[in-house]
Amino acid sequence: MLAIPHLDFIVAKPLLSEFFLLLQQGVLIRCRVSCSVAAFLREELRAGEDTIAKIQSIFLDGKAVDDIETALIKDGSVLALSAAMPGLVGATLRRGGAYSSFRNAITYHEKAETCSVKEGYVRIKIFNLLMAEMGPCLLQRGVSLKAEDLLSFMAGLSQDFWKGCRRTEFDNKPVDLRILQNSLTAGDEILLSVSSAQAEA
Amino acid sequence: MDKILRIDVGAKGGPKATAVPVGDYAGLGGRAMTSAIISKEVPPLCHPLGADNKLVIAPGLLSGTASAMSGRISVGCKSPLTGGIKEANSGGQASQVLARLGYSAIVLEGKPKSDDLYKVFVNKDGVRISADNSLRMLTNYDLVAKMKAEYGEKMCCISIGPAGEMKMGAATVAFTDMELRPTRHAGRGGVGAVMGAKNIKVIVLDDTGMAMRPPKDPEKFKDANKRFVDGLKKHPVTGQGLPAYGTNVLTNILNEVGGYPTYNFKQGRFDGAAAISGETLAETEKKRGANPTHGCHRGCVIQCSGTYNDKDGHFLTKQPEYETVWAHGGNCGISDMDKIAMMDFLDDNYGIDTIEMGATIAVAMEAGLAKFGDADAAISFIHEVGKGTDLGRILGNGAALTGKAFGVERVPVVKGQAMPAYDPRAVQGIGVTYATSPMGADHTAGYAVTANVLKVGGDVNALKPEGQVELSRNLQIATAAIDSTGMCLFIAFAVLDQPDTFQALLDLLNAFYGLNLTGDGVTDLGKMVLKMERDFNKAAGFTPQHDRLPSYFKTEKFAPHNVTFEVKDEDLDKVFNW
Repeated sequence: MLAIPHLDFIVAKPLLSEFFLLLQQGVLIRCRVSCSVAAFLREELRAGEDTIAKIQSIFLDGKAVDDIETALIKDGSVLALSAAMPGLVGATLRRGGAYSSFRNAITYHEKAETCSVKEGYVRIKIFNLLMAEMGPCLLQRGVSLKAEDLLSFMAGLSQDFWKGCRRTEFDNKPVDLRILQNSLTAGDEILLSVSSAQAEA
Repeated sequence: MDKILRIDVGAKGGPKATAVPVGDYAGLGGRAMTSAIISKEVPPLCHPLGADNKLVIAPGLLSGTASAMSGRISVGCKSPLTGGIKEANSGGQASQVLARLGYSAIVLEGKPKSDDLYKVFVNKDGVRISADNSLRMLTNYDLVAKMKAEYGEKMCCISIGPAGEMKMGAATVAFTDMELRPTRHAGRGGVGAVMGAKNIKVIVLDDTGMAMRPPKDPEKFKDANKRFVDGLKKHPVTGQGLPAYGTNVLTNILNEVGGYPTYNFKQGRFDGAAAISGETLAETEKKRGANPTHGCHRGCVIQCSGTYNDKDGHFLTKQPEYETVWAHGGNCGISDMDKIAMMDFLDDNYGIDTIEMGATIAVAMEAGLAKFGDADAAISFIHEVGKGTDLGRILGNGAALTGKAFGVERVPVVKGQAMPAYDPRAVQGIGVTYATSPMGADHTAGYAVTANVLKVGGDVNALKPEGQVELSRNLQIATAAIDSTGMCLFIAFAVLDQPDTFQALLDLLNAFYGLNLTGDGVTDLGKMVLKMERDFNKAAGFTPQHDRLPSYFKTEKFAPHNVTFEVKDEDLDKVFNW
């Protein structure tokens, strides 16, 4: 398998949040699959029990999950995570909530007993308050993006961001991002990792 | 709050105000007050814009006190949009001020004898009503600026924009917020048209010199209020999620789960959702120097509102709510947040319901009047409404009329009122409430605490198919009760999860009024309100066939999950069997 080019940002800690909006659109991670959502949260996303308790709504392939121990992560799964949400519908979408019958038509029911594939790609989406809770760890681990999505995202970064950006490296070598932008082609896959200068120290 | 201010707009010599004792309506507030007066005093078969209809504006039971979250105000009438009873409620300052002035309601009644437009000024010394035709067709922002120049900054306004004057079915009644901006609206059902039919352009309230309403037991009241506030602050929704992002935080999850009505309810996902999500909105607001965490009235501790600045950092509008962003955004295929914010401002300024207007524009787009995604066309449609052009008169009367005028079959309304931002095929339980609420399709009608706290009708087995009907019933009962307290419905999240916070709410009411209200008492209040409303609608000609979703929701599969609405008609008919 060919190694994916990787782009590393080291930024001042307050600037980490600039990357959080990428997480609501979804990022790919290469990881172990064929495990329960609960195991995936604990082992792949390194979420502690406090964090898991805050994840009140979980969507697997667009369906609301009630039981995180039985729902299985597979190659190609899309997993979205949200904190507690307002409104009747927010309450309805909570895992195992009193109103879950309101959305029977879109509740996730696991059909597979096991999966044979052991490693694969999972698309992760992280919303609202969980961005700050889970985003730094996920971004430090590294997420895959299409080059065009990355370029579009970078084009929207402010002058203040670039002032606070301590270092950028492409495949472990310092890089001028203006030059990098010209050398990336739509469709290329890039592994993006972001860490704070504080974490690096 | 021991008197009702009745204004007979048809009196000889011009509108005449009379303060009368609250009488039979004692102990009622908010929605209970509006629905009680409408059901007792308004003939159900009357014309909504005629002499017999009344517009009732009522603060909640705890408005004007030191209680947190007690600043909602209800507006009731026979609706020009649905033809049934209507209660629409709003934030803003008026509820607290009206209550401190001692009024448990303002009732506008009768038929004007002339075309003159009136303003009403209420303060501790009484009521002054004067004709002022210079206010004609003023937008809400211009009107409030004029009132500020005339009455100073220690007042608040209840007003209508041009849409109300033109008696449109989507017209709102506007309420000024803490900054004296007309950003809060009793939006649904055309209540602004009824105020317009009474020729009252604005009611200015000034409570200078009036004290906060004193509780019967100050110590218990103070203790209950502290527990209530603590409960709201410690809950993740009311203490964190709503303050950080506002209600638009729902966009991402509704879209993810495929329940976000897009392109006039054609599909459940919108490609542009991330660009208009609450997360993106809050980030944009912060970068532009606006404030994503702000209350809509004094005494709010949830702070789910906010302000939205334009690209140059100037105030454009309040932080648009989820329903507004959806109605003008995904439902019309629009993902430009600045354009959506502009539409929010225009709706507030002309005095139009954002949900009805967004749904109407989507129907107009389906009719081919513009392409989905054309934000400039959508903005021009709102201007048409504000100017009262022929097209604007159609659009300003809502989605149902627009669908008829342009021959569109797919019109998402119940009882003539447009559905809000949750597709009933994906979340079928909310479809039960859309179908059966006396208000027409309304996302707040079944919003609040339920069986597990109140034990309405015993424990509900939510896993049974009929559980959806039972839950909807209980939610509607509880919502009617909360709407009657004047409490913001968003307290429901904390009350739902934390029985001690629900108890704190009961203790607040008990300490203030010297009562011994229990959960059962709250349930009885909710049932009483719903029964009055259902009886009114029945007498107005509503039948079980009006408690239905449009038939295409049963047949058109809704992507991505390809689901249809499957709750049976006979089950819908059981919702109000208690």
